[in-house]
Formats: sequence, structure tokens, C-alpha cells
Amino acid sequence: MMLRAAPILIGVALVSVALAGQWMIGGGASLEGRGGAREVRADAEGDAAVIARTAPRVSAGLVDYHGVEAGVSCMTCHSTREPDRANGLGGALPKTFHQGLAFAHAGMSCLSCHHADDYDSLRLADGRKLAFRDSQQLCAQCHGPQTRDYLNGSHGGMTGYWDKSRGGRVRNACIDCHDPHAPAYPALIPVFAPRDAAARQQAEREQRHHRHE
Amino acid sequence: MSRRTALKALGATLGAAAFAQAIAPLTEWAADMSVDEYLQKHYKELSPVDLAMVIARLEQRTKEETGVEVHIGDYRPQPGVKFGYALNLSICVGCRRCAQACHVENNHDRPSGNSYIRVLEMQKGSMDLAKGRVNYSGPVPNPEKFYLPVQCQQCDKPPCVSVCPVEATWKETDGIVVVDYNWCIGCRYCEAACPYHARRFNWKKPEIPAAEINPDQGYLSNRIRPQGVMEKCTFCLHRTRQGKLPACLEACPTGARVFGNLLDPESEIRWVLKNKRVFVLKEDVGTQPSFFYFFDE
Amino acid sequence: MNKAALRKQATSYRRFLWQAARDATEGSAWFYAWMILLTALALVGLHAWAVQMRDGLAVTGMNDHVSWGLYIANFTFMVGLAAGGVMMVIPAYLYHDHEMHDLTIVGELLAVAAIVMCICFVVVDMGRPERFWHMFPFVGRFNFPVSMLTWDVIVLNGYLALNLHICGYLLYKRFLGERPNPRWYVPFVYLSIFWAISIHTVTAFLYSGLGGRPLWNTALLAPRFLVTAFIAGPAFIIVVLFVLRRLGGVPVARRPLEILVNVVRVTLLINLLMVVSELFTELYGGGARTASGHYLFFGLNGANALVPWIWTAVGMGVVSAVMFLRPGVVAHPVWLTVACALAFTGIWIEKGMGLIVPAFIPSSLHEIVEYFPSLVEWQVSAGIWAWGLLILTVALKIALPILREPHPEREKASHTVEAAPRADAKST
Repeated sequence: MMLRAAPILIGVALVSVALAGQWMIGGGASLEGRGGAREVRADAEGDAAVIARTAPRVSAGLVDYHGVEAGVSCMTCHSTREPDRANGLGGALPKTFHQGLAFAHAGMSCLSCHHADDYDSLRLADGRKLAFRDSQQLCAQCHGPQTRDYLNGSHGGMTGYWDKSRGGRVRNACIDCHDPHAPAYPALIPVFAPRDAAARQQAEREQRHHRHE
Repeated sequence: MSRRTALKALGATLGAAAFAQAIAPLTEWAADMSVDEYLQKHYKELSPVDLAMVIARLEQRTKEETGVEVHIGDYRPQPGVKFGYALNLSICVGCRRCAQACHVENNHDRPSGNSYIRVLEMQKGSMDLAKGRVNYSGPVPNPEKFYLPVQCQQCDKPPCVSVCPVEATWKETDGIVVVDYNWCIGCRYCEAACPYHARRFNWKKPEIPAAEINPDQGYLSNRIRPQGVMEKCTFCLHRTRQGKLPACLEACPTGARVFGNLLDPESEIRWVLKNKRVFVLKEDVGTQPSFFYFFDE
Repeated sequence: MNKAALRKQATSYRRFLWQAARDATEGSAWFYAWMILLTALALVGLHAWAVQMRDGLAVTGMNDHVSWGLYIANFTFMVGLAAGGVMMVIPAYLYHDHEMHDLTIVGELLAVAAIVMCICFVVVDMGRPERFWHMFPFVGRFNFPVSMLTWDVIVLNGYLALNLHICGYLLYKRFLGERPNPRWYVPFVYLSIFWAISIHTVTAFLYSGLGGRPLWNTALLAPRFLVTAFIAGPAFIIVVLFVLRRLGGVPVARRPLEILVNVVRVTLLINLLMVVSELFTELYGGGARTASGHYLFFGLNGANALVPWIWTAVGMGVVSAVMFLRPGVVAHPVWLTVACALAFTGIWIEKGMGLIVPAFIPSSLHEIVEYFPSLVEWQVSAGIWAWGLLILTVALKIALPILREPHPEREKASHTVEAAPRADAKST
């Protein structure tokens, strides 16, 4: 038993050392806002699958013995510090651990959604804890119409079966497309530009038109 | 023999030689065709045995020409199912991934970039198609615009079906308008009749690199089409008749597309029809589409 | 009928065909030059079509936006020509005008040639013409009566059969030296007159029934088709008559010519009225439904490929209408020929490039894709025209003796336009 646990312990120790080192030289580890492992599980109806996430982990930029990216939980640091309840979004957040995050979510503060007593959990509006894997419930508190549409299959991408008696489906969760810290849907570069006569001629005409102007 | 007769004979010989030269390309064209193929009956008149032979021939042909093992299924409509499609224009971002997925799924001609879906970038505040354009570039969505993907509307009163002189296209019980590629004569009357630009003609033999051929094919849907016949969107019947979602829906990153059984009151498509204010394109032409559009806000 | 009589008839019919073949291949040097030219053009067209069959219709200028082009444009015009040729016979039978009877044969031979061209233009437009048997009843699936195209197939082929019967019967009787029995052709002539109207009405319905193509979706289309048929048919016949008089020594009576001229005179004006009506409706109303009309006459968003075509057609229509108004125009063959050529070409543009193509521009999703016929399309089209003219030339050549025959009424008539010297009297 000890023998099998040994590599893990060694791994954790190494990561801690590495993190501490980075902390000291000020390089900072990056916190992926949508981090955490993906897992597939059945939704409330039990006939479709949704992807949920466990609590995010701070990446050390290293891999462990098993080749898995090494990370530490939020509580590793936050258990040693008092939460700054007055902090607004993005204001004076320690840049080191939370870099790479954009903040644009209706002026909410970190602790609107993150639980001050348990940083490995989320916080519902009434103060109750919520596991990261249930983050959809957090979104649903404010985004009722979207949640309603989502539950009725008319919001959010999916793959699989329309006929639920013949197969399940995999659905995106809110945070697959919407960064919870800046949820506006990102702009995309469209793919597969048409290249038939219509597109060609339209481009030519527009070019002529611009030249005239 | 008089001089005139000799001249006439010479003229006739030269004419015959010129005629043979003129029609030479026809012999190259005919070399591809077998008697069985030429005499093949209409899809609805093929017995299961006939159809199995036809499919075996087509699979064999693809194997010979491309080296790819494909499976062509004859997927029939399910009883109690009528397909409907709805598209949420508020969350479509115009990324054209649906059009691309269609291109890949349906074994479209690669050089022309064919797809059954055309995405129009529309001016906000107007439903005038004349203000739309197809060759927009990113980033999308442009805040001044909204995006309107258009594909076959699987009309309940399809003008394309009524105009076909040989019944090569018809509406199946699950609402999908299909084409028998081995029966179509290529007159393109249906293409003139369609108000949605939903039909495509095989102006030449489709070209697809062997590595890109989708081997999961349907006889009435995405099998590699012959030259000179019509084709169209079939709501991916080789997928949807097996309960799967169409390729364009799976490719949609925002979930703007809702697909399902109109006859099932519990289906998501029915929920949309009941709870959203939906509209159809060009309702005034009386085609009664099974494809609906709606806005959230 | 006993066996011997049957055999006799069969023999004489064979002799008739032999005679016809000889008539068709004998002639002056000019005749040979003309036939060789047409044959060469037809072969060029045939080759272009063979290439198109092998490589696909991608070699044309058509695409999924403009899916019908020069072929269907010519087809539409040819239906009009076929109908126009025979509708000219109406006055002859309605008013018992004996001099007009001679025109019957010219009109119907023209109809035969034009219908053959129609069928050719449809065949070359098809992606899979070898599957034509899919249309046959019993072995194929004929979508009658729902598809207007099936109606067109019936009326066009029926019309071809009718006219072949009438012409064939009259020519055969003449060969036998017998008087044609009116019982065997007059009812068919009446039928073919109504049939002529039907072929053009059905062809118009082919287009006007499509709700998704606003330019065609007008009740004026069928009347306009008929009116333009009454221009193109007689205009062509007038020119043919002049050619026959000059080269074939066929006397042209003044009265039939006057009737033809009067018909064209009136129909040219009616057609202009119809064009103006369409134009007004397009321009005054506006809206998306009129986009094709705007594109055709003025261009749309910088696309204006058809503008020169349509204004040329309108110009030709106006000029020929004015030329036809000249009093005593019948006595001025050159003037009249020019007027006919202008009217004919004007209608060809108006009903073809000016009607079929713009209905696709903008497309049903309002994309503007302009259409330019490819070289292959021009070659194939020219080939079919040459083939049609070849048929007409041969048919007229065979019919020449009948046309030259002095008509009892004609001899009495004092105002026969004096026949031009017979240019090829020796050779024919």
C-alpha cells in the first residue's frame, strides 16, 4: 500500500517545491478559468449526457510521474489566507495565480460565485456550497431563459441521437462556450468560405465598386 | 459512274468520317456505363433483391475507382416520425461550420466547395434577402448583422416534386424530399422551381480524394453522385433514420439548431414550435416548409 | 384493300422517298455550298455536345444559380416559331382564303423544323439524355398531369406528328399526281392550329407556374408568348417566301404577303404594349419581386450583363414596328426583309436571353450571379440551328414543285407580285 502511494507522494512533493520556486521567482502559475477534469454523466432526465467539471486545479506547468498535468487545488493557498471580501472583479487579485483570466461578468465579485470558506466549491446566491461539477445550477440562478432553452434542447451544441430511445448524446455545458469570468461568446473567424461563381462574382463587383469610390 | 455521283459518294464518305470524329467523345462517355445500370428501374419499383444488387454494384464501383470500402444503406422512413428542423437566429454566429460539416458528411465535390447549406449575413432590422451576402469574412458575429443559414426546407408542398417530369424526386413519409440519382434525367426543372436555392446539380463528376470519402453512405442521400443529376439536402437521412442527429447540427458550436420528430409532442422541436415564435422563409409562396426559424430576443 | 394494291402502294411510297432524297440532294453550286456550310456547323455542334456529355454541363456557362441558359432560351423561342408558322394558317381556313392555302405547307414545314430544334435544345440541356425512356408510360414514370413538362412533351411530340402527317400527305399525293383528299388533311390542319396555340401556352405555363421566380410568375406570359409567336413565325415566312421566289422561282401572291405583313404589323405593336406594361409594373411597384426586371433593364448592384441585350431587343422591336408601318411595304422586298430580320432577332433576344436568364438573377436567395454562355453553348446552339435549317432547306426543296404549281385561283388573280427570274432554273 505504501509502496503504491509512494510515487504520488513524491510527485506532490515535487510539485510543491516547483510551485514554491515559481512563487518565489514571481513567474506565476496559470489558472485556467475553465480548468478541471471533464467527466461525462447523465443529466436529470437520465437520457442524455452532459459534461461537468470537477473543481479547477492550478497548473504547475509540469507533468507528474504518470504523465498527467500536475496541479494543486485552490485550497492549497487559500486555506492559508483570509478571503478579501471587499475585492471586486479583477481589482487587486494577485496577478500571479490568476493571470490569464479576463473579468467581464456583470460587475460581480469573486465571492459572488466562489465560496469564501471552501475555495474548492462554488457558492450559490443563498450562501450554500455547490460542487464545481454542478456549476450549471450557478448559471441558472440568473440565466433563466437560457437554462430553460438549454433544458429543452434549443441552446448549446450537442452530438449524438435525436431519438433518445436509440442512443444518448453529449452536450456542451454552459462553460464550454462561455468563460464564466467573461461569458460573452467569443468572436469567431468563419470557416469554409463559399468559392462558387456567386462568391467570385460578388467579390469582383465589390472590388470594382471600391475602386470607383 | 458520273462525276456528280462520284462527288456525292466522296461527300458522303467525308461526312461519315467527320461524323464519327465529332461523336468520338460520346464513346468515351459511354464506356463507363453498363447495361444493368442503364436499364435500372425506379427506386420504388426495385425489389429488395434488385436493390441489393444495385447497391453491391455501386459499392464495387466505388471500390474500383477509389479503393475505398464504402457501405451504402437503404434507410427507410420510420413509422410515426416526421422530421422538423428549427434554427435559432439569435444564437447563430455565422461561423459556417454547418456548411462545412455538410460538405464533409455528404461527399460533396471538393473543388467547387459544394454544400447544401448557404449562410447569409443579413442586415439587422430587415428580412430582405437582397441585403444579405454569402462571402462575408470574420470575425463573426458582426454586431450589425445576423446570420441566416438556408438549406432544403423539406416543404410539405414541394414545387420541385410536382414539376419533375419523371418522378425522380418525391417526398417520403417522414417528410424528407429525396432524389433517385439513378432515375433523374437532369432537366433541372426542379432547380428552377425551388424558391430556396436548395437543389444542386452535378455539373461534372464529383471529385473527392479517397482519404476524404465518408464511407457511411445512404442510397438516397450521401452516396457519391453520378454526373448530370440533381442532389439536395436529405436531413442526413443515413444518420437521422438511424436516430442520429444531422451532421450540420452536430457541427453547430452554439446549439442554434434543433432537430426532431414533429409527431412526438414531447420532442424538442415541438417544444420550440410551441414556446417560440417561429416563422418560415417565403411563406407567401405556399410551400409549407418543415424548417423553422426563430429569435430569442 | 387487297394484297396487290398494298404492294403497289408500298412500291410507290418507296419511289416517293427515293424521289424526295434525289430532290433533296440535287441542286446548284450555291445549294451545295449552303448545305455543306450547314452540315459543317451541325457537326461542330455535335462535337461540342459530345464533349459536353463526356465532361458534364460544367463546360457551359450555367451553374446552380443560373441553371438554365442559352439552350432553354432557344428552346422557348423555337416553340414560338413552330407555333407561329402554323397559326398563320388560321386566316386561310377561317376566311376560305385559297391563296393562303399555299402558305400552309411552308408554315408547317417550318413548324416541323422548329419542333425538331426544340427537341434538340431540350436534349442538349439534359444532364442524362440517355435516360429519356424514364418518361415513357408503362416502362418509365411519367408525372402526368402534375408536371407541366410532361404536358410539353405531349404537345410538342403531338405537334410534330401532326405536321409531319399533313406535310407528308400533301407531298405524297402530289407525287402520285392525285388531288389531296381534304378529308385526310383539313381536319388535321384545324387540329394543328389549336395545337399550335396549345404548345405555346403550355410552354408559357411551364414558367409562369413557378411561384419562386417572380419574373415568370405573371399571367401575361402566355399571351405574350402567343403574340411574339405571331411576330417571329410570319416574319420568318415572309423572308422564306422572298428566298423561294428568288432561288426557287416560286411566285408570291400579293394577298397572302399582305396578310402576313398585317399580322406582324399589329402583333409588333401589341408586344410593345405588353413590354411597356411589364416594365411599368416592375418599376412603379418596386420591391424584391421586381429585382429581376430591374436587373434586366437597368442592372443591379453593378451587375448589368443583360442590359445591352434587352435594349437591343427593344430597339429592334421599335424600329421594326415603325418600318412595318410604311404604307405599301409589301412592294419593297429589301425594306421588308430588313424589318423582318429586326423583328425576328428582337423576339429571339426578348424571349431567350431576355426572359429565361434574368428569372435566375438574382437567385432565389437574391444572390446576383451573371450568366455568360460558354463557347460550347454557342457551338451547340449554332449546330442545332444549322441542323434545323438543313431540315427546312431539304423539306422546302422537296416541296418546291408543289409550290411552283399554278393555282387555279392564282391565275385569275391579277395582282400577283411578279416573279423574280429563276436563278437556279437549270439546276432544279
